[in-house]
Amino acid sequence: MCLRFSAAMPLSTQSQADDEQYVLVASLDNARNLSNILKAITFKDHAIFNATPNGLKVTVEDSKCLQANAFIQAEIFQEFTIKEDLVGFQVNLTVLLDCLNIFGGSSVPGVSTALRMCYGGYGFPLTLFLEEGGVVTVCKINTQEPDEPIDFEFCSTNVTNKVILQSESLKEPFSELDMTSEVLQITMSPSQPYFRLSTFGNSGNAHYDYPKDSDMMELFQCTKTQTNRYKMSLLKPSTKALALSCKVSVRTDSRGFLSLQYLVRNDDGQICFVEYYCCPDEEVE
Amino acid sequence: MATMSCVLEGNRVKVAPYCVAAFGKAIHALSRIGEELWLDPMVKGLALRSVNSAHSAYTCFLFSPMFFQHYSLGSGSEQGSATIKCKLLMKSVLPLFRGLNSIERNVERSQISISTPSDRVTIQFFCRHGITKTHNLHFQESEALQAEFASHLCPNVLKAPARLLGDMVMHFPVFQEEITLSMMPLSVSFRNYCEAGNDHMKMMYTEMSLHPDEFDYFQVGVDSDITFCLKELRGFLSFAESHSLPVSVHFGATGNPVRFYIKDMVLEATVVLATLMDSEKRGPSQPIGPPHPSSPRCADAAALPAVSYEADGSKPQDIPAVTELITSSQGSPIINPPALMQLLSPVDDPDRLSVSDEACPSATTTPASTMICSLLFRALSSEQDDDGCAARLPVLACHSDAEEDMEEDYRRSPSL
Repeated sequence: MCLRFSAAMPLSTQSQADDEQYVLVASLDNARNLSNILKAITFKDHAIFNATPNGLKVTVEDSKCLQANAFIQAEIFQEFTIKEDLVGFQVNLTVLLDCLNIFGGSSVPGVSTALRMCYGGYGFPLTLFLEEGGVVTVCKINTQEPDEPIDFEFCSTNVTNKVILQSESLKEPFSELDMTSEVLQITMSPSQPYFRLSTFGNSGNAHYDYPKDSDMMELFQCTKTQTNRYKMSLLKPSTKALALSCKVSVRTDSRGFLSLQYLVRNDDGQICFVEYYCCPDEEVE
Repeated sequence: MATMSCVLEGNRVKVAPYCVAAFGKAIHALSRIGEELWLDPMVKGLALRSVNSAHSAYTCFLFSPMFFQHYSLGSGSEQGSATIKCKLLMKSVLPLFRGLNSIERNVERSQISISTPSDRVTIQFFCRHGITKTHNLHFQESEALQAEFASHLCPNVLKAPARLLGDMVMHFPVFQEEITLSMMPLSVSFRNYCEAGNDHMKMMYTEMSLHPDEFDYFQVGVDSDITFCLKELRGFLSFAESHSLPVSVHFGATGNPVRFYIKDMVLEATVVLATLMDSEKRGPSQPIGPPHPSSPRCADAAALPAVSYEADGSKPQDIPAVTELITSSQGSPIINPPALMQLLSPVDDPDRLSVSDEACPSATTTPASTMICSLLFRALSSEQDDDGCAARLPVLACHSDAEEDMEEDYRRSPSL
């Protein structure tokens, strides 16, 4: 990565000729609309970027058991130009976030960092042009060949239980989960306790019960009683996505695989999605 | 089967401060003292107690049945059924009550129950939106922990709004471990305590004096300087302030323990702190002051029975009698450890001195605790007591089994 400071030169006056070399150009007036959502999936250093004409998908995986995806649709960007059907690369996510926040990330109203993200294709670095208050910074981040994201084969037809909760009701329990518990157990059932999060720690166990008629429960579709355990260390990072979101859907399929989908509103009120997939630790009952 | 069950209202239903958040605030205050929490459900209420590892600080919060929306003991209506007494790790309980603001906003009702077959304490929070949080915590069965402190034998008594004391201690930095409270006929002063050997040039000395008129009640039986750990008192004062309750302070001569006490219709709380024996270590700005009578007041009071402090509250009318006792005992030889020990624990050998060497080392004790000679009490809880060295410390007050007669198997033994 190298940094070059240019004289005040708004990003928009860059010559069109420069753009010919890029297979992907994405611009945002407010870089936070990208950096905030990426923070929700930063639990590993490396991320796989996959861009299509529909938008950008960023994937982070952990030990082949957990996958997090952030979706930023093309409409969110002020400019989104892609020359191929699929453009993929892998970068160090921590470095990318550092660059996006290079101006300090202070949230003074009205002042934001503008971003122009450009990628020349296989073998080229990811180039970021960042501007705030007339100062432009250029960052070039090395890219690697992207790994193939795991396909968890989670499809809607196989979903046994689904609930949609307002994130507000989950934020506190998630932040106070007993971390001495190795697992987070999720019980979903058409009968009591309906939706239950459980931990088993050194001091004892804890249960958080959400009744199906709670006003925080926007949707309750449970067909079969299922109890599954997931490694706490894998799910705990999802707390960041929960903190940003206003709603979350929790689904389990017949194998006990877990899908968490978070609806996130960015600074401008636009909707983006983050999802987590997790393999069960073991099946109980 | 021994059981206990009580229900607390949340802030939204019942007027604060009689609510879950108040209970949580008590837990916070208890957590400043020790690492274990003793729960003792009794007919007269639920007692929560804690003691620090050096046994130099003890606190008890007693919530009467009226504090709760519902309070019941026992598996049936038998009055004589054994109630379970248990001990929990503070680090298991405190996180449940850590977010007091959140509890005030969200918790509509809370239920605490103990049941022996499952050896679990169940704490349930019934929250807004129908959400229920259930915590099942392991407990250890334990003998009740209790300190005896004969308030009515204390020559010095102060009573002041918690706010006054809070305003005083606010001036001391958070890292200030000990402060000295000096009582003289015309003033009460607080100053920070500095150990000898500290570089006096680098220390900041703070002293505040109050006129007796500032107190709701002021009685000086003997001039005295008592030095005690402030850190252990802060949580209690914060609780007292949040309930706008006056605090009673009972103490005697240097080296004797001090008791802070609050009470209202539904709860009472006490902190008993040991005080430093050696009062000669002061900041350079301090006057030497009048010579303190060094004999404990109660040398001639050996005939008085030990009285549980809970029954006593503060009875100023008893104090004058003791004051007379004081003048007659002026000039008596020093008896060390304090003679209150003789009142309550005749089995102990009063010649066992050199407490400072025997004090239990612990990462959580304050530096001065190792010099504190008064051991307040002995918690004779079966084999869980890990302080083997506590056996050799003189005992100021004994484990009390006054409340329940059924602990026949309880053994009062001088060594643990």
